[in-house]
Amino acid sequence: MPSTRQPQLCLILMFLALIGSVPLLQAALELAAGARPQALEVFRQKPTAPNLRRYEHDLTEASRVAGWLRPWAQYVLFAGLGDGGGKTLVGRAGWLFYKPGVQGLTDRPAHGSHTVEEAAAAIVDFRDQLQARGLRLLIVPAPNKESIYPEYVTRRAAGLGAVPGAGTRALLQQLAAAGVEVADLFALFAAGKTNATAPLYLAQDSHWSPAGVELAAQLVARRITGRGWLQTGTTAYLCRPAPIERVGDLLDMLQLPRTLTRETVPCRQVVRADDGAPYRDEPGAEVLVLGDSFLRIYATDEPGAAGFSAHLARELKQPVLSLINDGGGATLVRQELCRRPQLLAGKKVVIWEFVERDLRLATEGWPRVSLPPPAHP
Amino acid sequence: MRVMYALSVVLLTGACSDLARSPAHAGADAQVQTLGTVEVTARLVEVPEGAIFKRDLYDYATILKYEVVTVHRGALKQGAVIYVGQYNPWKPRAAAADRKAPNLGGNARQFHAGRLQRLALATPLDDFFMGGLVDKYFGRRAGPAYWAVWTNDAD
Repeated sequence: MPSTRQPQLCLILMFLALIGSVPLLQAALELAAGARPQALEVFRQKPTAPNLRRYEHDLTEASRVAGWLRPWAQYVLFAGLGDGGGKTLVGRAGWLFYKPGVQGLTDRPAHGSHTVEEAAAAIVDFRDQLQARGLRLLIVPAPNKESIYPEYVTRRAAGLGAVPGAGTRALLQQLAAAGVEVADLFALFAAGKTNATAPLYLAQDSHWSPAGVELAAQLVARRITGRGWLQTGTTAYLCRPAPIERVGDLLDMLQLPRTLTRETVPCRQVVRADDGAPYRDEPGAEVLVLGDSFLRIYATDEPGAAGFSAHLARELKQPVLSLINDGGGATLVRQELCRRPQLLAGKKVVIWEFVERDLRLATEGWPRVSLPPPAHP
Repeated sequence: MRVMYALSVVLLTGACSDLARSPAHAGADAQVQTLGTVEVTARLVEVPEGAIFKRDLYDYATILKYEVVTVHRGALKQGAVIYVGQYNPWKPRAAAADRKAPNLGGNARQFHAGRLQRLALATPLDDFFMGGLVDKYFGRRAGPAYWAVWTNDAD
């Protein structure tokens, strides 16, 4: 009898050591770092259900062992099984997509959702506030990657062209009805993707490619000058090749333990024709560009001076001023403008870019944001 | 069993040693006492719903509301309510610094309402951080927002 119990006891002890070693190792590491063990946090708050849930969540997030193992587990799932985890969708031909964005395209809006109406109301209100100051507003919704390239999500979408979400179409209709000027990049990119020599979006990233940036800048410049809102300036800019290698944000989000591949991105940097200096924003410019990471990419990111604002300035032959708020194109950037209303001084045109997925996923939603009254000299 | 017992004693001793510190020195270290222009021990008044959560693609700072308990440096007054920008507050302070917000730190790991923290602050926030700012008090607060350079637990 004892001989049959020995292996059982051994297995039980091994199991207990396995599950016991994780918290003990965690506590030892925390003590070695001079910190209070995370496990003791449970004694510092009332044992209510929300506190205990938060405690459990905090323990999971703080676990060193989980931190070591998670990237390798994700690596095996991604490289071996093509699983992108909770946020990344692995598409065709090596293209990655932001899963919540795709869900926004394919899922029905939540029952009772008024996001489209709220967004339209906030945009119209912002347009009216700018109009009262004598400024023009041009809205530039940046299409989701999956709206322009659905065929890389699923082969069944081949031949569809561009498929903006139902909410996006409703928003564009409401804005048109309210007389808001919109640069329709959906139609432009749908046509452009068949003619372009390079894709308009990056394969590993949620953002547009240099080709997409330049196409969008050309349309916006044509719209502004075509409406007579602005005269073309006199500053000549040139483009020079500035290719970079980039790890896309969708790949980066997987937090893999090693970089699988970098994407070569054929950027074109905008430089002044007279002295060859890279493009720089000008606070006294007549155009203010508000937006999110679609403005940041290639601008403050590598290689610099190759983003949307730089190419818009090249088209307009005059510098512009940018206010960029990563992931905050819907509302945070307007709030930041409220904190810094002096940025509106001397402006004639405001361009407001936000990504399509913000219609459902905007940080802080779509409240109306009241600009402070203009300062009178 | 002995190992477990010894470790329990170590853990409890560690916990009690924190509690035994005097309030004036709670959370003090070289960084919190020298960085920024203002140093306070303050109580986190609340964490508004949706103010702190893990972000997928982007980095944000979040404005949090504190009540000043002790002023160590600077011109603030005891009992004052201040609004402080904490960068990516879902991360432990020791892991929060990055290229967009360098030189941040501290031993605080989470932000829970009611906690006392010792903060080294800089102001105005816009001079130190130009990225996304989640401000649940937007339009409802007055005065400058501070930028949390160093945050230590102090309770």
